[in-house]
Amino acid sequence: MPLAVVAGKSRPQRRPGSIGCDSKSSIMTDYVLEMRGISKNFAMTAALDGISIGLRPGEVHGLVGENGAGKSTLIKIMTGVHQPSHGEILVDGRPVTVASAQAAQALGIAAIYQEPMVFPDLDVAENIFIIHRDQGAFVNWRRMHDDARAIIARLGIVLDVERAASGLTLAEQQTVEIARAISLDVKVLIMDEPTASLSAHEVRQLMAITAMLRASGVAVLYISHRLEEVFDIADCVTVLRDGQHISTRPIAEVSPERLVTDMVGRDVGEFFARSKSHARDEVVLAVRNLTRNEVFSDIGFEVHGGEIFCLAGLIGARRTDVGLALFGVAPADEGEILIASEPVRIRRVRDAMARGIAYVSEDRRKLGLALPESITANISLPTLSAYLSKLGLIRRSAERAMAETHRRRLNIKTPHVGIEVGKLSGGNQQKVMLAKWLNAEPRVLIFDEPTRGIDVGAKAEVHAIIHELAGVGVAVIVISSDLPEVLALADRILVMREGRQMGIFTAAEATQENIMRLATGQAERPEAA
Amino acid sequence: MGVLLDRLSPQVLRVLALVIVLILVILFFGSQIDNYFSARLFNRISTSVAIMALIAVGQTLVVLTRNIDLSVGSIVGFTAYVTGQLLVDSPELHPLLALLAAIAVGAGFGAINGLLVAYGRVPAIIVTLGTLAIYRTMLVEFSGARSITTASLPDWLLELPRLNVFSVGGFDLRFQVAVMLVVVIAFHLVLTRLRLGRMFYAVGSNPEAASMAGINAARIVFIAFVLSGALAGLAGFMFLARFGNITVVAGLGFELKSVAAVVVGGVNIFGGSGTVIGVLLGAVLVDLIDASLVRWQLISEFWRDGLLGLLILLAVAADAVLMRQFIAVRQRRAREKQSRMLAHAGAAERVPA
Amino acid sequence: MLVPPSACRRNDTGSLIMPNFIKALTDRLFGWEGFLLSILIVTMLVNVSQSAMFLTIGNQINLFQLSIEKIIVALVMTLIIINGEIDLSVASMMGLAACAFGWLFQIGVPVPLAILLVLLIGAAGGAFNTFWITRVGLPSLVVTLAMLIGFRGLARVLVEDRGITDFPDWFDALGQQAILGPFPLSLLIFLGLLAFLIVVLHVSGFGRYVYMIGINKSVAEYSGVDVARVKATLFIASSTIAALAGLLYAARVGAVRGDVALGFELDIITMVLLGGVSIFGGSGSLIGVLLSILIVLNLRNGMALVNITGHIQTGVIGLLLILSVLLPNIRAYLGGLWSRRRPAAGAGGPE
Repeated sequence: MPLAVVAGKSRPQRRPGSIGCDSKSSIMTDYVLEMRGISKNFAMTAALDGISIGLRPGEVHGLVGENGAGKSTLIKIMTGVHQPSHGEILVDGRPVTVASAQAAQALGIAAIYQEPMVFPDLDVAENIFIIHRDQGAFVNWRRMHDDARAIIARLGIVLDVERAASGLTLAEQQTVEIARAISLDVKVLIMDEPTASLSAHEVRQLMAITAMLRASGVAVLYISHRLEEVFDIADCVTVLRDGQHISTRPIAEVSPERLVTDMVGRDVGEFFARSKSHARDEVVLAVRNLTRNEVFSDIGFEVHGGEIFCLAGLIGARRTDVGLALFGVAPADEGEILIASEPVRIRRVRDAMARGIAYVSEDRRKLGLALPESITANISLPTLSAYLSKLGLIRRSAERAMAETHRRRLNIKTPHVGIEVGKLSGGNQQKVMLAKWLNAEPRVLIFDEPTRGIDVGAKAEVHAIIHELAGVGVAVIVISSDLPEVLALADRILVMREGRQMGIFTAAEATQENIMRLATGQAERPEAA
Repeated sequence: MGVLLDRLSPQVLRVLALVIVLILVILFFGSQIDNYFSARLFNRISTSVAIMALIAVGQTLVVLTRNIDLSVGSIVGFTAYVTGQLLVDSPELHPLLALLAAIAVGAGFGAINGLLVAYGRVPAIIVTLGTLAIYRTMLVEFSGARSITTASLPDWLLELPRLNVFSVGGFDLRFQVAVMLVVVIAFHLVLTRLRLGRMFYAVGSNPEAASMAGINAARIVFIAFVLSGALAGLAGFMFLARFGNITVVAGLGFELKSVAAVVVGGVNIFGGSGTVIGVLLGAVLVDLIDASLVRWQLISEFWRDGLLGLLILLAVAADAVLMRQFIAVRQRRAREKQSRMLAHAGAAERVPA
Repeated sequence: MLVPPSACRRNDTGSLIMPNFIKALTDRLFGWEGFLLSILIVTMLVNVSQSAMFLTIGNQINLFQLSIEKIIVALVMTLIIINGEIDLSVASMMGLAACAFGWLFQIGVPVPLAILLVLLIGAAGGAFNTFWITRVGLPSLVVTLAMLIGFRGLARVLVEDRGITDFPDWFDALGQQAILGPFPLSLLIFLGLLAFLIVVLHVSGFGRYVYMIGINKSVAEYSGVDVARVKATLFIASSTIAALAGLLYAARVGAVRGDVALGFELDIITMVLLGGVSIFGGSGSLIGVLLSILIVLNLRNGMALVNITGHIQTGVIGLLLILSVLLPNIRAYLGGLWSRRRPAAGAGGPE
């Protein structure tokens, strides 16, 4: 190893261990991108502390770690958004400075993110080629469309290149971004949580594309919270924790348990273990023939008090739309909703809330929390009338006391509840969102992707809260694309596909395989009894 | 119909809808007003549109990048006055130089707006609300509240508005209108054929993605403001030629009319989509209704501003509602097509070879 | 010294030792409001040095009287902009209200009834705006821009190019004479409205909703907040208060014409934004707006004292508006350069 990385002068020398993947019999210096002893300090904290990592062409390098481990910062340094405080970056063995996104692009480094960066008003082809600088002053539409078709075809997917990007699904938008990267002949492609919002089918497609990129000699840095994907696709894997490099190993030499231990720095044990059902006899929520025109049709199920009822399916299966119909955001056109056997009309969010239905959104930043507001104000928002005096003025002390209770109960890590929610970590934000709806004391609580994009530790805490709620008799509906999570949580599972109900499994019947068969439409199944 | 739905872009559909509305409005007033289809009215409206359309094209560039330029009215007034003063002081000045001076002054003002918005990171509505007042103040100061009068201007300038490119039975294509048409076509080509033009759409469509993709968004916004200022300067020159008398209120309220033309012309006020052809039609529609109401006996001409306001609302509402429907239908069809394709692909996969 | 206006309301403690309220106080003093306060003091000092009469109650009240209609409307505009919307139609509504009053008076409607009808017109105008914004879903910028033209057009329809004067003496007196101590009615209305809105915006549940919707409308909707009702309340209030301001104008000047309050919307919005309210919604305070109103009034007065004409005054206020946002940005930029040279103390934070 040609490594004598000493980052900060005051820092004690620490050997970072191997920085690339050693399993292949390749020369050590063939990194296309190498980070040596990268440190990054923000105002008061050190986000990265002497990180070294090397990426080889034709290799998928997994990068895992809890939120706050420093993954995002590392990526931002690679793509020129941040500058490192110490350390050096080498491309093809030559030291470089990545001063801007443009500079990164010129060096052949590109990144795709959880939320794709596309231009909604431009068509697919233009989205791919808009950033090309070598095509002269004029736009040759026909050639651009032909080139775009060729690239899309290379990826092995079906996509009309003349469609405006505004109508594309998340997965399609991601494909456009990958196509953009390919069109630029990138040497290094960074994929930051690319599958966080994808369905299982789309994930498989992405894996195939990633494998293709590897075969064509691209170095891929693959960041994901879903360890099974990392094991699926990566050649080696690096673990970061608290801004420090913990380990880099060939994938064949690590076990999932080992990886998790490295990530959290402690033994988490069996956090995906099933606990016993809390389901009671009384039916809290019943849904019959629920239909929203052009979106979903004929959905029918019952949820008992204390039951955890999961909606499974691929993205585009319209599970969220069922949740939104129950919550009154996008009301159903036909069908019946019964709360405790009593038919109710839900036309707006307030109707649902009045009936004790709450919905924890999948999109924390856009739909869940007012980030510049305090924890207190966010938690009290749906129930603000409970903290008003007769004159309509806010009773601040009562409001703060309530928030304080939730902070302790949910273990929200913050100095005090007056802090802006935007300054908390993802996991703690998720807990604030939970507190907001727990405070409404709902009878039916709908969770939409409750653990998306949060780290392993916080995930376990969220699961514990869900179980606790079920324990006190709340009817819980969980919409999740994470099958292991569904199998671990659910008492029963309803599988949807393209707006139709494909079947309901009990926990005992359900397996990943039979859920997937229904979700992908490879098997039709009569309604379970 | 189905094929039509797939083929036509929303932009083309907007332009078609505007043409239809325009024809309906013309037919309506034609049935109400005697001698409506006269060459005189055509010539009057076309020269009036010539000025507004230039400003509106500039406004379009700015609005496409998710900004707004409320200072154009003041820029028109200032350039009209300054160019007039220039020609009063030195009547021998070459016409082309006078024209260039007007454009340069406008571009300079636009550059100040652009600097503040793109590099000073002050929201456009704040900057141009401020410069609207500042540029007008400069005009008042510069002029000392005196006016430019027709008598003091050189003859070539005063004859310019009546200069004909060609005419068909009294219907003239005046020089000013020709200039406007050239500008509109040029900018249409810039926006559809030039990479730089596409950048306007990209920046307005998703500014964050633009900077992530390494597009210099600030530069694009800056260019948009400079061009808007330059076009307002050109319009100021035309204004001077058309009216001859320039007071400190010249061009007052043009910013609102230009925004009206842009919005009626189908440009998304939040950036990213719209065409100059649509904007030209929008400017024509706004001016046509304005000019026709003056001649309509049935109601007082004082109704025209009230109706103009209502027209803007209806145009935007119709656009929003219809486009929502249209896009929904479009997306459904695209989804169906996609799932059919996938089904085929899936079937092929499962059949063993 | 300068902190961007949007940062003013943030109240987290960098250190845990300093109690919340002290932190909040220092934030304010060193933040935007402190900046405004220092500008205000400087302008007042300059004014005092120019004229010994400046600080007399009479002169101060006079100061308010000259712009009283604008500053009344600016108060409600503050809530609208914090809510993430804008109402460009207020000045035209002031004109429409004044002209409608003149027209009703001319056709013989008793003055008290005319006043009532005009206020109803104001409310109806606000309801009209609301319909397009909340029902049809159009951006308020476009809707109120259209009604800026539309309301003004209606005003012109009512009075055409005439001027209407000769209102009853008692009506004119309402606009001109002191009714309580040295205070005229309009100033009392301003002070009452200010106190009421401070409570509404900063203490009441409604005010919390105003901020929350301004920060993120979807979050408010997904939390069961009746967003449409909050917006309707604000727009109807804005328009009704604008109509009231139009009446006050008619009473103060004693005459109406089609161009009453023409272009006032710019002054009004300038006062709000200069007060540190974010044009993107979600942050700002009435205290800041009050300070900016005082600055604008004193600045105009001071400039008048040194013989600077009205047009230049407008230009100066335009400049002030731009600088109010530009200066904090420049400071942040320079701060960024500084920290880039000393990487260990960089601004920002980890994700």
